[in-house]
Parts: sequence; structure tokens; C-alpha cells
Amino acid sequence: MASVFTAPPLADNGPGYSFKQTPTTHISADGTRQHSFYPYTDNGGSTLGISGADFTILAGDTRSTSGYNINSRYVPKLFKIGGEGPEHTGSSIVLSVVGFAADGDALKERLDTVVKMYKYQHGKNMSVAACAQRLSHILYNKRFFPYYVHAILGGLDEEGKGALYSYDPVGSYEREQCRAAGAAASLIMPFLDNQVNYKNQYIPASGYGHDLQPRKAELLPRNTVEELVRDAFDSAVERHIEVGDGLQMMIITKDGIEEVYSPLKKD
Amino acid sequence: MDSLVAQYTRPAEQQEGYFDEDQLELSQGSPQLSLKFALPPVANSSAWLRAMTDDYSNPNCPIKIAHGTTTLAFRFKGGIIVATDSRATAGNWIASQTVKKVIEINSCLLGTMAGGAADCQYWLAYLGMQCRLHELRHKRRISVAAASKILANLVYNYKGMGLSMGTMCAGVTPQEGPALYYIDSDGTRLAGNLFCVGSGQTFAYGVLDAEYSYDLSDEDALELGKRSILAATHRDAFSGGFINLYHVKEDGWVKHGFNDTNPIFWKTKLEKGEFSNVTSELV
Amino acid sequence: MNHLPQAWGRPRDDVYGAYDHSYFQTSGPKQSTQQPIVTGTSVIAIKFKDGVVIATDNLASYGSLARFTDVKRLRQFNKSTILGFGGDVSDMQYLDRLLLSLAIRENYSSYSSASDDTDDTSNLESLNAKNLHTYMSKVMYRRRSDFNPLWNQILVAGFGNDEKPFLASVDLLGTTFSSPSLATGFGAHLAQPIMRKVVPDEASVANLDKETAVQTIRDCMKVLFYRDARSMDKYSIAVVTKDGIDLKEDEKLENQSWAFADRIKGYGTQVV
Repeated sequence: MASVFTAPPLADNGPGYSFKQTPTTHISADGTRQHSFYPYTDNGGSTLGISGADFTILAGDTRSTSGYNINSRYVPKLFKIGGEGPEHTGSSIVLSVVGFAADGDALKERLDTVVKMYKYQHGKNMSVAACAQRLSHILYNKRFFPYYVHAILGGLDEEGKGALYSYDPVGSYEREQCRAAGAAASLIMPFLDNQVNYKNQYIPASGYGHDLQPRKAELLPRNTVEELVRDAFDSAVERHIEVGDGLQMMIITKDGIEEVYSPLKKD
Repeated sequence: MDSLVAQYTRPAEQQEGYFDEDQLELSQGSPQLSLKFALPPVANSSAWLRAMTDDYSNPNCPIKIAHGTTTLAFRFKGGIIVATDSRATAGNWIASQTVKKVIEINSCLLGTMAGGAADCQYWLAYLGMQCRLHELRHKRRISVAAASKILANLVYNYKGMGLSMGTMCAGVTPQEGPALYYIDSDGTRLAGNLFCVGSGQTFAYGVLDAEYSYDLSDEDALELGKRSILAATHRDAFSGGFINLYHVKEDGWVKHGFNDTNPIFWKTKLEKGEFSNVTSELV
Repeated sequence: MNHLPQAWGRPRDDVYGAYDHSYFQTSGPKQSTQQPIVTGTSVIAIKFKDGVVIATDNLASYGSLARFTDVKRLRQFNKSTILGFGGDVSDMQYLDRLLLSLAIRENYSSYSSASDDTDDTSNLESLNAKNLHTYMSKVMYRRRSDFNPLWNQILVAGFGNDEKPFLASVDLLGTTFSSPSLATGFGAHLAQPIMRKVVPDEASVANLDKETAVQTIRDCMKVLFYRDARSMDKYSIAVVTKDGIDLKEDEKLENQSWAFADRIKGYGTQVV
């Protein structure tokens, strides 16, 4: 998750061609060498999700990088899942993926097909809980050749409350209040711990030393969450080279999905 | 020769992109929990997988899978206590502090999670499905021995492929009484009174072995489970977060909370005088 | 098991053998099927208000040897799509055959379906650039998943479903992205900054006319020739508009100025 410190090794032959992938060699037990190809890359960027009482917000920056190059300033990391047709009309589930973009696209299309097939076969929309479990199984089916992605799935549960699920690359998942993933996860997540779950916040003058009472976390209203998301990304852009250009936000409420795009610093 | 001719006389685009089988599988909606896994097309796929995912041997590996744990379970006269911490780490990054490491297989069977989080979640869900099928086929609940054996046989099939799990199955059935089994991804399956699993196991064993007796009261047993996990979260950097506590009885399991370690630690220190290695003075 | 708790639960050396770092090794003996041999350098392209301009030089290099000096790396698909190939030339030629058979099949089937519905000509519409890009990305991603990549980065230029100019890239890993200007290889370092000055964002595409776009591309080709050692002064350029494709495959760089070379110091025996 902390890809600040874990970017895959860069090809060491200078500014190199982007199609130039350095071949890798594998020496098997019997001494024969087999050349293999490194099938992953990291396209950088960061995503985050926060759920509230009757909404879920997912957000991601729109920069796509390879090495130190910016491929494009607008490549979305948030995808609507299900709904009608290629425009996903009426969908109420959003998937965000960060990591290797091609794996992310493949994953998104798999999940989208599954959710649409479910609608055709059962005549009703898939619940977020079912979709979340199915996504876990899709990721785990590639346990031995993983999708190099950190996925976050957002929607509304059967009671209309905000639901947010986060995943590791091989499909372990958990429902959470908030989660940041991708390159700047290690910058954003501590901020969210403090501002969403009120970690390490205490009620002023509630005591001295060990008697100090921790502040209880509560569900945040929508405008507060939107401000938090913007602040989180503005800060991440300041300190991480792979994050920037634009902020794509999707807000899921009972009325559907609202998509907002706002610019971030482009340097 | 014929196959060679067939291969090269077919129009090239039929061999590119998505295959018909892929399309079919997607449109039919393949079974959710399947045993069909995509493999990397290399000669030694487990070594390849390890190169990509083993963050201990190579801290720079690209894909970091959530790991690290302290889990324990022990049998006593009142049933079985199951307790875990809730931290998941990916490398040195704490991926989550709120992982549910006790997996509720069904209303009377519990599994615990150590090692790869996804491996445990997936295979214990699969076990849950098998247990339900057993109930439907045989009109009675599955024994813990049988359930744990299904899991052990299953992971043994994947031995050497790179699965990483250390799990305990706990349940109480009329024929067995309280039963506890340890199963790991090497295929080991052991019955026993008391197990601790994970990177914090030694610290938990230290407390548990010192205080354990089969004749503990329910309250004392719950307290001991909690105190053992607390010791492990204190000394093992890869354990922490919340203490998840369960009590398995004949009529099913009972949850005894998911509590933050920090206040419990200070309570234990200040009220009972334990952890005297830690200073409580505010300088 | 060892004494370090971090190691517990991880694959053990006594079970799996020693950890093999060589999967990430960046040097070693080379094998032909896993790396490009005869390569083409940059492809550059820019969108303007009525279409897209795309260019490549006509060189195919064999390592540092300028081996083939008349290789066309722009390929037309149907009436309004152009693909530019960077990377391995043999894989480009394979993709060329693939696209040819795709074009034959698609045009045959869309023609027959159009003749069924009397005079509805909208069915004659074949794959557009966006459709083709999706197809290419599936092909490339499938091949990377089989560990048998087609060693190319490809730019697809033409029009999308909305009749607006379309420009997108796909590479050997199946990574796809789209931008008002795109460049592969060295072009990403040298040409992209020049093009981004002209079209910093999607909105500025509507203000760019054809002449400026073509001139920008020609300037970029010149800069690439000055500084990319695997480039050549003969190049192909194509302008895709609604009216069709204007493809010129034998352009020469004009108005070169090597005056800057005079001021370069510090190479070889020249020390001051």
C-alpha cells in the first residue's frame, strides 16, 4: 500500500524508451535460465473513500504516470458499476482502483459484467454487500497471478446507510468508515484517522493525564466530508509527485451518483 | 502436424484478445467460490508469486499482502475462548487496525485468521459453504473434526503454491464437546487444548501457559484470553489495534466485544499494577 | 522458522527454496523473444479542432545501428483511423496482418448487414478509432497476461463515437490513456513538453487550427532528430479529419539549424 517507498524497480538505462522493459532472468533449480517478462507497472495516483449516514464519497486524482513521466492529466480511477448500458444509467455502486491501470480496467470490466448479468438473471439490482463479496472472489481468483490494484468499493447498504469496502490486491476485504489507497495512502490515511475517526483527539478539559476523555467519532455531514476530501488531496499533491492534475469525486446518495471534477495543482 | 496447420490457417484475430470461453464464463456467472485459479504462465509459478509478494525477503516487492497477527484459542470446562488482535500490516505499513480476525463460519463454528488475510477469508468462507452443504446432505451439524479436515485437505492440495495461513477451528458439538483444531497452509492439522498463532504467538503463550487451567471459570477464562492478547500487542509490533473476544458454547458462540487495546492497557497497568516496565509519570 | 517474528507466516526458505531476486534483475543474458530487436523510436500526435495530426520517422534501428531507413510506421485502418507504432518492428508487422484481417472481416459483415436494410447507410459505419483502440488494448493486455507481449507502444488517432477527435495510447502491458497530445519513447521527454504548450488541456483543442498543429508536429520531429540518436530526418505525417486521411510517407525535415551544436562542449576530446 505504501508505494512511496515501494515503487517497482525502474529500468536503470537512463531516460529510456517507455516500451523498453528490461528483461529479467530466472535461474531454476536445475541451472537452466528462463527469461521472463515483468508484467506489472505502477501508474501512481491515489484514491480515497469516506462513508456517511446516507451517502458515500469516493475520490481519486486523475494523473497517470509511468516512472517520472506524466502519461496523461485525465485518466479516471473511479468507475460506475452496473446500471444500464455503457453510460451506467441508474447505477448505485462505484469502484475505485489504483495501482496498475490495465489490471484496474480489467477488474472493473469483470465486476461490471458480473453486476449487469446479475440484473438480467435475477431481475433486481445487486446489493453492495453482494457486490463487495463478489469483488473479493474475483480478486482471489487471481491469487497466484494477482491484479496489482488496491480497490475501494462504495455504495449504499440495504438500510440506506453509506457502505465502503476496501481490498488488498488478493481480495481480503473489510467494511470501513474511511480508507485511502495508492501512492499517497501513507500521507492521507493518518489525516483521515484523525479527522474522520477522531483518533488521538481528546475532549478539552475533560481531565488531566490518563483521565483525559477521547473524543467519540460520529458520522460526518456531507459538506464536511467533501471539504476533508479536497483538503486531503490538496495536501497529498504538495508532497507526492505521482498525485495531481485533477480530482474526480463521486457522491453516492439515494438519488444516484453525482460526479464532480475539480482541478488540482498540475506541477 | 494437423494442429500446427490448424493453428496457422485460422485468421489471426481469433487467437487475440478475449476468447470465447472467457466470454461464456462471464456471461454465465461462474460459481462464486470456485477452485479455478488463474496461474502466471511461467515455469515456476510459486517462485514467481513469491518474488512478487514476499515483503519479508524483499521489502521492495511490488505487491504487499496484508499479514501479521496474534490469535489464540483455548479449551476449558466452560467451552472455548477465542481471542485475536486486529492489526493487518503490509510491509511496515499498518494497512488496518480494525480487521475482524475471528471469522464466523456459522452459528457454532469459529475460525481465526493469521497469515495472508485474503487466504483465510476466502478459504474459511469456502469451508462455511462446505459445512452448510454437509448439514443439508446429512441433516445434522458437521463435527469440528470433519470441518477442520475439509480445510486441511483443501490447503494441502495447494501446498507449495504460496498460500499463507495459520488458522484455528473452534466449535462445540454434542458428540465431541468443545473441540479445537489448528490448521496451517503446510497442511498441518492438530487437535489440542491451547494454541497461539501468528507473529505475536510467543508473547501470548507466555501469559496463557502461566495462568491456564482447564477448570477456569468463564469470567477468568475470558480475562485470560484478553490479557494474553494484550501482552502480545504490547511486545509485538505486528500486533495491535483492538481485542476481539469470543466464547464458544454448546448452543453457539457469544461475542464479548471488540475493544481498543490502549485504554485496556492503561487500565491493566494503573489499576492492577502490571506492566511496571512502563512509566506512567507524565514528564 | 527463525527467531524474527516478521518472518513468521511468510514463505519459508526450507519449503520454497531461497527467495529469488532475479525476477527483478535488470541485466543478464538476452533472449530474442523477450525483448525488442529491430525498433522504431518515437510516435508523436496532437489533436486539433477538426482532427488529429500524427507522425513518426521512417527508421527502424537494430540496436544502435540505423538498419532500415524506409520503414513506414503509420498505418491506416479504414477511412478515418491511423495507428502509429513505436517499439518492435516485427510485432508491428504482426499487428499489421492482424488489423488487415480484422478490417476485411468487419467491412464484409457490416456491408452485408447494410444491404439488408435497404438504404440505411448508418450501418455502413465500421469500427471507429475508439473501437479500434479498445480492441488493441484487449489484444495487448491478453498478450501481457500470457507473458508473451507484443513489444509496442501504439497511438491510435481518429474519431470517437461522439464524432470528436480521438487520440489514445496502448502499450505492451495493456496500459491505456488518452490526452490532447501524446508521445511515445523519447518523444515523451522531448516532444510532449512542446506539444503541451500548444494544447495544455482538452478545452484548448477547440482553438487549435490544422496549420498550427501540423507545424507543431513538424517542429517536434526536428527537435527529436536533433537529440534522439535513434531518429532520422525522413518521416511520415498524417492528418486525420472528417474528410479522410492525408498521409504523407516521404517527408524530409526542413530548415534544420545545427547552430546550437557549435556551443555544445565537454564531449570527446573537446574540453574547453
